[in-house]
Amino acid sequence: MRAEYEPKIIAFLCNWCSYAGADLAGSLRFQYPPNVTIIRVPCSGRVAPIFALKAIFAGADGVLVGG
Amino acid sequence: MVPKIGVYICHCGENIAGAVNIEEVRAYAEKLPGVVVARNYLFMCSDPGQELIRQDIKDGLVDRVVVAACTPRTHEPIFRKALESAGLNKYLLEMANIRDQDSWPHWHDKEGATAKAKRLIASAVAKAAYLEPLEDRYVEVTPASLVIGGGVAGMFAALDLANMGYKVYLVEKNPSIGGNMAKLDKTFPTNDCSACILTPIMVQVGTHPNIELLTYSEVESVEGTFGNFKVKVRKKQTYIDWDKCTGCGDCVNACPAKVPNEFNEGMDYRKAIYIEFPQAVPKRAVVDIAHCLNCAKRTIGTKPRVHSKTGEPILAPCEKACKTGACDRSREYNPEGEILEINVGTIIVATGYRVMDKAPFKEYSPQSPNVITAMQLERILSATGPTGGQLKRPSDGEKPQTIAFISCVGSRDKRFHTYCSKVCCMYMLKEARLIKEKYPHLNIYIFFIDVRTGGKDFEEYYNYCRDLGVKVLRGRVGAVDELPGDRLRVRAYDVDLGAPVELEADLVVLATAIEPAPGLEELGRKLGITCGNEGFFKELHTKLYPVETSVKGIYIAGCAQGPKDIPESVSQARAASSAAAVPLTAGKVVVEPLISEVNQRKCTGCGTCVQLCPYSAINLVEDKDRRRAKIDEALCAGCGACAAACPSGVITLHGFTNAQIHAQIKALAC
Repeated sequence: MRAEYEPKIIAFLCNWCSYAGADLAGSLRFQYPPNVTIIRVPCSGRVAPIFALKAIFAGADGVLVGG
Repeated sequence: MVPKIGVYICHCGENIAGAVNIEEVRAYAEKLPGVVVARNYLFMCSDPGQELIRQDIKDGLVDRVVVAACTPRTHEPIFRKALESAGLNKYLLEMANIRDQDSWPHWHDKEGATAKAKRLIASAVAKAAYLEPLEDRYVEVTPASLVIGGGVAGMFAALDLANMGYKVYLVEKNPSIGGNMAKLDKTFPTNDCSACILTPIMVQVGTHPNIELLTYSEVESVEGTFGNFKVKVRKKQTYIDWDKCTGCGDCVNACPAKVPNEFNEGMDYRKAIYIEFPQAVPKRAVVDIAHCLNCAKRTIGTKPRVHSKTGEPILAPCEKACKTGACDRSREYNPEGEILEINVGTIIVATGYRVMDKAPFKEYSPQSPNVITAMQLERILSATGPTGGQLKRPSDGEKPQTIAFISCVGSRDKRFHTYCSKVCCMYMLKEARLIKEKYPHLNIYIFFIDVRTGGKDFEEYYNYCRDLGVKVLRGRVGAVDELPGDRLRVRAYDVDLGAPVELEADLVVLATAIEPAPGLEELGRKLGITCGNEGFFKELHTKLYPVETSVKGIYIAGCAQGPKDIPESVSQARAASSAAAVPLTAGKVVVEPLISEVNQRKCTGCGTCVQLCPYSAINLVEDKDRRRAKIDEALCAGCGACAAACPSGVITLHGFTNAQIHAQIKALAC
């Protein structure tokens, strides 16, 4: 693995809890790396397994489901 | 038809522009597939910003809108309105959260923040191409409200709603309403007697025809949504028939069991059968079954033994004393109490606070009975307290000659709570003043880290106390030692003197911190509302929506939201009641059409979704010769579990369709 390797992470976050948590982290100015991008879902139950697979096949290195 | 997407990038002043290179992002967005125009503005949510969007829609330039700004959780409704007012369906909007989830958390990585903004906008644009127009639904609102917590905030919230004509259920976990304020002697800054201003309000609440008091009760579960919540309330078992109980107190006098009295902060004893305090509303007795001695072997639900000589039944003293038959230990009470189901349109949470105990503060000799909390002193000063309002120290009942107050005990302290409890400076001054006015010769010292008297008439109050002779020292107290003769030595560092100081006192009062009430987090989980990292309930927006929560239709008031004094609690309660009345008055609320729909033609009727639906919104219906899933629009909450699980892929969750999410994934992953 190269030293500068940065994984590309896609996070599926529930609007009511973890997405709100990500907003809160921002408003509290908690700093974290920008290599995670969030897709807002109404519930983690919306996240079909195929979404995670599609993300990996499309080039993502990791998938996070928060709910 | 090829969508015409407009991208509108907000600087949010410096909030976004300070970390994200706006022009670079705008130029990138302009080249994204489907995008016809990309604009930027200092504050996109302001009128000139919204006008940019409206004008482009009116000009026929765009028919899909992407706003890259703050979180959709607060600003999506604002931009939807802008679309609507320009004649475009408001669901043809998608937001890219480039502030809360980009510029703010990546403030020190400008390049990273700019690159991420591009990806987030690309994701939003990709989804926007698949957006579809949707129509709002409306549901009728149950014209009733639930208020959780019967302290001063909850009571005012309940009264306001009841006076507007709405049915209010007021749930309180203790046997009586009144809350912490009922324990106070006098209240700053006017030194009103707490009982004189609170007890009439308690009576109003207790007798109001629109208020149903559910004391000694707790919220068990909350289901449903905005406008129609179904709440289960557990009425805890009192082991007394409250319909018959008159609150005379005869049973209390007869009871031999002694239990530390919570209302007097453990400084005296109550009985196992007790009335919470003399001015309780409702004034009814409760059996504390954990401490009941079951006199005469009268366990609840057993038949009394019969006296061998007289043939009379042998009763427990409480039963014998009860003249109305309210106390009847032969009855088979369910220890779990009773579950009530109530339907309400809105909910106000006003569960208050608790004060920290002195025990964790080992450096202040908490084992000494003469080291007390300020709330304990409040009970000592109160006419309804353990000393009948006489200033007596707990160890020997003598009047203390020197009293030392210590501020910020547990507040502004990394070991316990980092926040300021806000009311301690003023209540210490108040207690000092009450004592000094009664006994001018007593020596009173207050050790502050800082004196914080921000508030109307507060600074004048502070100056008045100093003029009375209350001595104020600036500096943290390091230790309190026990000395012979029930004396205490306070060791501190006086910042103004620049030297250590020592003081001998007869009574030490700790201004212990205000904490979230026990069980707050669990209640939050039941309601679906979040706690901040200090443990209090979090408002939707500190400035704009201070009484709203992340769940529509649930509001907060009083110290459940954070430490505050009585005037602030009452103001917030009345604000919450007004916010909670809006949907009740409107009679119906908009429900977003972001719900699931089954393509019935293709449904195989396998029933997978039926079992999965957490809201029981899906049924299998007979259609011709086949069974097919049907979704009840009124019950569907739009979670999308069915859409994720449908093996045939024939359930669509509007607003979060497979096509939309796949487009987002593709945009983000490549």
